[in-house]
Amino acid sequence: MSDSETVVAAATPSIADSIVFHGSLSELYRLAKAGKIPTSLQGSHTRPCKFWTASKILSGIRNSILLTHGPSGCAFGVKQAYKLTNSRNSAAPYEPVVSTNLKQTQIVYGGERELKAAILEVDKKYKPSIIFVATSCATGIIGDNVDAVTSQIASQINAQILPVHCEGFAGEYRSGFDLVFREITKLMDAPTAESKAALSEYVNIVGAKMGPERTEIDTDVKELVRLIEGIGGKVHSVIAGNCSLDELRRAPSVAVNCALCLDLGYAIGSAMQDAFGTPLNSTILPYGIAATERWILGAAKYIGKTAEAKALMESEYAAIKEEYEQVLSHLEGKTAIVEGHDAIKSLSIAHMLERDFKMRAIVYNFHPWSAEARETSIDYLLETGLDPEILITKGTLALGKYESMQQTEDELLEFLGSLNPRETVYFGSSLSFPNIPLVDLNAILNRPRFGYRGALKVAKCIKTALDYGFRPRSAMSKRIVFPQNSGLVSVQSLTGKLAQDMPDCTMYAGQRRKGQCMMS
Amino acid sequence: MHDELEFENCSHSHDPVVGCALEGVSNIIAGIRDISIVLHSPQGCASTVALGYDNHETDFTQRKVACTRLFETDIIMGASEKLRDLILKADATFKTKVMFVVGTCSADIIGEDIEGMCRSLQPKVGAQLIPVHSGGFRGDLYAGMDLGLSTLLTFVRPLDGPKLTRSVNLIAPQASLNPTWWADLKWAKGVLSAMGVETHCVFPSTTSIEEISLASAATANIFLTHDMGYNFSRDMEKKHGVPTILRDLPLPIGLKNTSNWLRALGEYFDASDVAEQLIESGETLVTDILRRRGLMLIPRYRNAKVAISADASMTIGLVRMLFEELEMIPDLLLVRSSSEQAKTLLEAELNRLGISPRVAFGVDGYKVKQSLAAMELDAIFGSAWEKYIAEELGTKLAFDLFQPTNRTCYRDSAYFGYEGMINMLEIIANDWEAALRSKEIRWEQYQE
Repeated sequence: MSDSETVVAAATPSIADSIVFHGSLSELYRLAKAGKIPTSLQGSHTRPCKFWTASKILSGIRNSILLTHGPSGCAFGVKQAYKLTNSRNSAAPYEPVVSTNLKQTQIVYGGERELKAAILEVDKKYKPSIIFVATSCATGIIGDNVDAVTSQIASQINAQILPVHCEGFAGEYRSGFDLVFREITKLMDAPTAESKAALSEYVNIVGAKMGPERTEIDTDVKELVRLIEGIGGKVHSVIAGNCSLDELRRAPSVAVNCALCLDLGYAIGSAMQDAFGTPLNSTILPYGIAATERWILGAAKYIGKTAEAKALMESEYAAIKEEYEQVLSHLEGKTAIVEGHDAIKSLSIAHMLERDFKMRAIVYNFHPWSAEARETSIDYLLETGLDPEILITKGTLALGKYESMQQTEDELLEFLGSLNPRETVYFGSSLSFPNIPLVDLNAILNRPRFGYRGALKVAKCIKTALDYGFRPRSAMSKRIVFPQNSGLVSVQSLTGKLAQDMPDCTMYAGQRRKGQCMMS
Repeated sequence: MHDELEFENCSHSHDPVVGCALEGVSNIIAGIRDISIVLHSPQGCASTVALGYDNHETDFTQRKVACTRLFETDIIMGASEKLRDLILKADATFKTKVMFVVGTCSADIIGEDIEGMCRSLQPKVGAQLIPVHSGGFRGDLYAGMDLGLSTLLTFVRPLDGPKLTRSVNLIAPQASLNPTWWADLKWAKGVLSAMGVETHCVFPSTTSIEEISLASAATANIFLTHDMGYNFSRDMEKKHGVPTILRDLPLPIGLKNTSNWLRALGEYFDASDVAEQLIESGETLVTDILRRRGLMLIPRYRNAKVAISADASMTIGLVRMLFEELEMIPDLLLVRSSSEQAKTLLEAELNRLGISPRVAFGVDGYKVKQSLAAMELDAIFGSAWEKYIAEELGTKLAFDLFQPTNRTCYRDSAYFGYEGMINMLEIIANDWEAALRSKEIRWEQYQE
């Protein structure tokens, strides 16, 4: 038993009863691998299926048409979630998501004829650069031979065509991301000496999704582009965040792929490394200065700009130094509880808190499912020496959503009872109500979060939360989120707009609300 | 008397602007109190069920949904055990009176016997288990809502006692593109109440199973939609002797449609005097407000050539309001649904008005965009979709009235009735102002 476990158990026996796991990430990982802790998600913990996650990546490729082979509902759902969000937030024009709109007859007799006809129609009426044919559960089960149809028809159409087998049942939530990132490497041209020379100072930022960056917000992607340009490099393409087919074709010729998201960036980065030998700069999310510097140097090495990178790091730090160091003096030695719903983000934040801010980080309710689903990333993190403290309470494994569930809220409050509220902050959704200062990094005004400016922004957010810790959280807000006698379900189930504000970025835009994925 | 539009390259490819049957079923089930849903499907379908709940703005504490999260092995080997375990667990956790066990495309196609499962588990659980096959391939949103209503019909008990004489069931208020459609429901209940008519059962919006079971006692059914529900109303009449009234009238949108609707209602329930009072006070309200605050709508809107892109419920009602009352020219009507009854009703209304706009039913995004691009229009009445299409096409005025809207609606606003007309005109006026204001300050004009 660790020291922290001893303290908790002695001070608050009730929370000890609620704890499922309290220890290091490596220990949790070991238990998950050995099957000693349940890693399956509850029936209430539905995430977007493989079809949805595949569509999310495909939505970030310009002048493409997503043709979904199946009933129309799957197309409508992703269109409303991703395409409408692109229009609302990023001023993208109206973009369709097309369906073969299968009915009962085609389910019985097969839908290949409809698919063939639909491809021809789509090619004529939209004139896209590429048609992605995405399979759905229905066509996966009835066994339509989509590969045969697409290969037969390829010569009859102007657009390029790529089948994507992403039936919703065919894998976990993130398998759709991995699949598409792997599949789109088929659209890429092998580098030549000439193409590599032309792109020798270029990098790709890989692991992005959906449409263009918002013009009015200092997004994380824009910050990374600024840093690359700051060292004299250039960004060839953000894959797949509003990239073109032409950019994809030439993408392997860049000097290096830089992962935006450790998990998703690794998926495409390693696929391109295997297929074309394109180097991969894969680090944890660049939250904080230590991670940012690793990211910049990792990129600079391949474009021959190490000296420029070091100069940039100095100038970037100099620009924030005075304020940053002043703020940091208030943070050192404090404790942070980090909500663990978004596994990779929470671990990256923990890394920043420990390495940069010298704080103690406890990742709270990191679902053991993540230990399995995010294996690649966790392996990487552990290799880099990051092994944060993890706390999992029973509410996380109960039927019901854990994000702002009354049970997990109560368990958190019990746990916090053993900590000094003046010395502890909570990193999570503003829709949680711990009785300690709260930092919500998903709030849209708290951008950018990456890079030096991001490090300062986050540090200031913590200081602000501590400074105003004397103000009790709004009773009105709390009553909105937790009405009397609530309990089983969570804010994730609120209207689409609110669901979008949840931190794990796996929600859907509702019909009537301005929705947005916060991981832009 | 309308000119039906035809489109090329649209026979096999469809850019949907409405959801599938599962969303329709969910949209009905979500209107019932104290129920839970066990969804037998891959996990993505849970988002579609969530859309049904979203459309009711159901408080999150009332959303009791669990999903079997089917994966490949389940598809190959079947997942009856998984379903059984989840029903038992959900019953113990949710503790609702009724549990709908909903099968989607996957469960439907692989032939999961959810009826058999419900039968065999019924003695072991507290909730009444209701199986519903809701594969998305069974149709679109409206077909799914019909499917949901037909499931609810099984709850309606044969009449056991005298028929109520001043009591109505209201059908499918949620099948409407008003983003706060429950305000229309409230308006309908209000005018019924003013005429001494009780709203017996709403099919369904925060309705209990008990209320549904007693629906056969109502004097009549009234549609609050023109997009679906026709089979249900036929069956209610045939099986339970409850007729549907006002079915051939446009919904109460605008002055004339509202007065027609109120008069017909008053006549049926022998409350014509109340109807006339409501009409008089309502029309006075509208004209008084517009005299003081909206006088300029007359020169603004007169003879503007406009398109409506909406459902049948809103489109049929709006045509007269725009043409007769606001003196616009509805040149293009794009309807998301395609029921024969709605087509007939719209045809009759256009004949009465003596206009022949271009019309398309069952439109998708491509047809909407193509139609709007092909016409010279001053304004579009539509949703956020049409707003973005209009931006691209260079049509300056796009009124964001319908779902999915880009407006934030904190207050419930009816579109039905007299205040409903004012509510719509307010949105139109604000969108007008925002659209025509210069977007950039030309600083050079201010330089000395």
